[in-house]
Amino acid sequence: MATTSGTVTEPFPISRVLNRFLLFDVDAISHARRAHNICGVLIGTIPNLSQQNVFLGVPLELMPEEARVLVEEGHAYIVDDVDVHQRGFTEMSREVRLQFVREMDEQGMQKAVENRNRLEENSRQALKKKGLNIKDKIAGKSSSPDPRAVSGGSVEGNPAKEGKEEEHGVGEDGEALFDQPRATVVPPPAKKLDKHYITPATSYPPLSAPSPPSPAFSPPSDLNLPTVPRSYPLFRYMHSHGYFSMPGLRFGCHYSIYPGDPLRFHSHFLATGMGWDEEFELLDIVGGGRLGTGVKKAYLIGGEDISLKGTSGEILGEADEKDAETVRPFCIEWAGF
Amino acid sequence: MADEDEELSHLRGPEPADIDLSDETQDFLFLDKLSSDANGALSLPKRGTKDFESHETQLQLDTLEASRQAMHGVLSWTRVHTEKNRILAMYHPESNMAYVDKVKTQHFLTMGRAKGGKEWLLPEEVLFLLERGSLDCRWPPKPSEEEKDSDYKFTMEDGAPMSLQGAYAAFIGFEAGVGGKLTLEMYNVYAGLKRSGYNVYRTGSWDDDRAALQLPATGSKKGGNAKPGYWTRFFAEIWRRISSVGVNTQVPTENLRFGPLVKPGLYRSYADIYRLLQIIPTQDRGAPPTFMLESDPSNPFRVHFDVYKTGGSFKKSNRGPPDFRIAVINARESSVPTAAQLNDLLVTTPHDPPKATDNLYKKLKHGQRNVVLAVVDNGVPSYIRVAEAAFSEEKLYERTGRAPRGKGGGRGRGRGRGRGR
Repeated sequence: MATTSGTVTEPFPISRVLNRFLLFDVDAISHARRAHNICGVLIGTIPNLSQQNVFLGVPLELMPEEARVLVEEGHAYIVDDVDVHQRGFTEMSREVRLQFVREMDEQGMQKAVENRNRLEENSRQALKKKGLNIKDKIAGKSSSPDPRAVSGGSVEGNPAKEGKEEEHGVGEDGEALFDQPRATVVPPPAKKLDKHYITPATSYPPLSAPSPPSPAFSPPSDLNLPTVPRSYPLFRYMHSHGYFSMPGLRFGCHYSIYPGDPLRFHSHFLATGMGWDEEFELLDIVGGGRLGTGVKKAYLIGGEDISLKGTSGEILGEADEKDAETVRPFCIEWAGF
Repeated sequence: MADEDEELSHLRGPEPADIDLSDETQDFLFLDKLSSDANGALSLPKRGTKDFESHETQLQLDTLEASRQAMHGVLSWTRVHTEKNRILAMYHPESNMAYVDKVKTQHFLTMGRAKGGKEWLLPEEVLFLLERGSLDCRWPPKPSEEEKDSDYKFTMEDGAPMSLQGAYAAFIGFEAGVGGKLTLEMYNVYAGLKRSGYNVYRTGSWDDDRAALQLPATGSKKGGNAKPGYWTRFFAEIWRRISSVGVNTQVPTENLRFGPLVKPGLYRSYADIYRLLQIIPTQDRGAPPTFMLESDPSNPFRVHFDVYKTGGSFKKSNRGPPDFRIAVINARESSVPTAAQLNDLLVTTPHDPPKATDNLYKKLKHGQRNVVLAVVDNGVPSYIRVAEAAFSEEKLYERTGRAPRGKGGGRGRGRGRGRGR
């Protein structure tokens, strides 16, 4: 499948559902990974692979930290999905709805044709492999509807084509799209095209994503920024240095940090963000250090010296350049004498 | 002497059986190689292909690109329903649930409940079915003015198809609006367990702030103490009576203060003496469990899901006691439960004593009541079993026979085997 991450226009929308940040668009997911070192956590079930937990699919849940970094740097903006859907679907007008249903139907039909083509291609291949008399098969097929002719659109008695045209005919009258029984169809041919239906991944279309807030107009204010935990400065610091982060719960830390895309690299650090003057148990260092060394990683703690940030507190957007001075990380390893 | 595991050379990798593939981001290129072994455990071929760090080679970049392409490809799979296998559902905004007219697939053996001629699905059930591509859910169409007047009946197919994004917005996002309690964390846990093949149900109705107290069944037999043999008991009992006429096994308060704990007398068994030495009171497990805190909707610790292993003749209408009880906790919003919170959580689970025949440590680990905490950190769940270890029930001096030793066998070397457990 061709890469299409080029099609993402920034800023791209991040869905907010009850203060969780989700991405549903595959292109946006790929784009965030490639261009912004944001990998998030895939939490969805992959259709047809729904009996395992090793590979998961859309949606992608972003940590609030990740969403915040993306918003602060102007790559993304937050959309309140609940609000959008409440208005978009429960109040959807009849025209929009019919239009959408018709579009989905066409897509479904397309899928059905694709699917059949693939199946026939498969059987053709299988037959070829077995060295069976292909000619007979093909000869037999030429009288039956040929799926590829759909695009040509001139084969008589093609059920797909007929079905489709009929749908169109009814649909364009506008009234009662699905209510009329399809009684006019000629006796079903040998292989009727099974109608397919699609559940789309995103809601755009039929809804159009709310346009991003114009940056000149409204600089990101704390109000529409994701709330982040205290460990955020460390996350931002590591992110600004090109590291990838994943939630660190499995290792008892805030983030497990990767030197590159976790698809390819092992994690190097188990990171815990601390307050600058925060006191913590020495045992935490022992525990973190031993665990980290045990799994061939280093335990990393870091905090932000707020006193170095100047009096203005958090100046968003300018934080990146300052991070180098304000956040100090430390690596801890079990020396093993 | 240094501890064995203090030396780095002994820091071993985990046992192959303990590796949880979902712990790490797996390469989507290996998707088709995912296989399950005889035990049903998923395994991937041994790869060792991940790199330690970037070395800026074209090979590395190409491999990464291939993995990303594979991932992109898999994530782009569309959810397609064929005419034959499609289950059509209609969203019901008032209850944030959905209903199905025709019950077709085996999913309904474990999901949904019939009411008013329709099969109703809870939010997590709809979302899960929709996400795995087994359900075509529709938004209820809003009738236009003319349609309102005419008695035009909408069919489900008139509704706009609900996208995956829409389903999350509705079943998670609208949930609070209708007084529901499903959060994304709970859904993560639900879906994860369903994918692993468990049957998962809500515990109770979730309408109350916490589950009901689990009182011990009346006439339940007392704990799983290993009883000594009949003759031993017989003689011990005789001696106890002879030697302690009028002496209670409980030490009187007076003696506690000034002693002696063990009065001079005739003792035929060490157990009798040990019993007298037991002066620190422990929880009375015979007493019915009680809550320690007021009922509070903000208390995040409650049992959310009843989990059943699959297999056998399972009926959703007659499920029986669950195999596990799971409380979902958001790692980012709650901290370790207090003793009171833990007590209140555990008293809503039934008394589940260990098998009397188990050895001591197994019994202690099994505990008297137990619950599984599913701690979710941003979509990543970890499952922790919390059990109430009844040390006071498992008296060392009453132990008969020896606890089986590790396979090391020899007396001296057996020491320290159990460390770190």
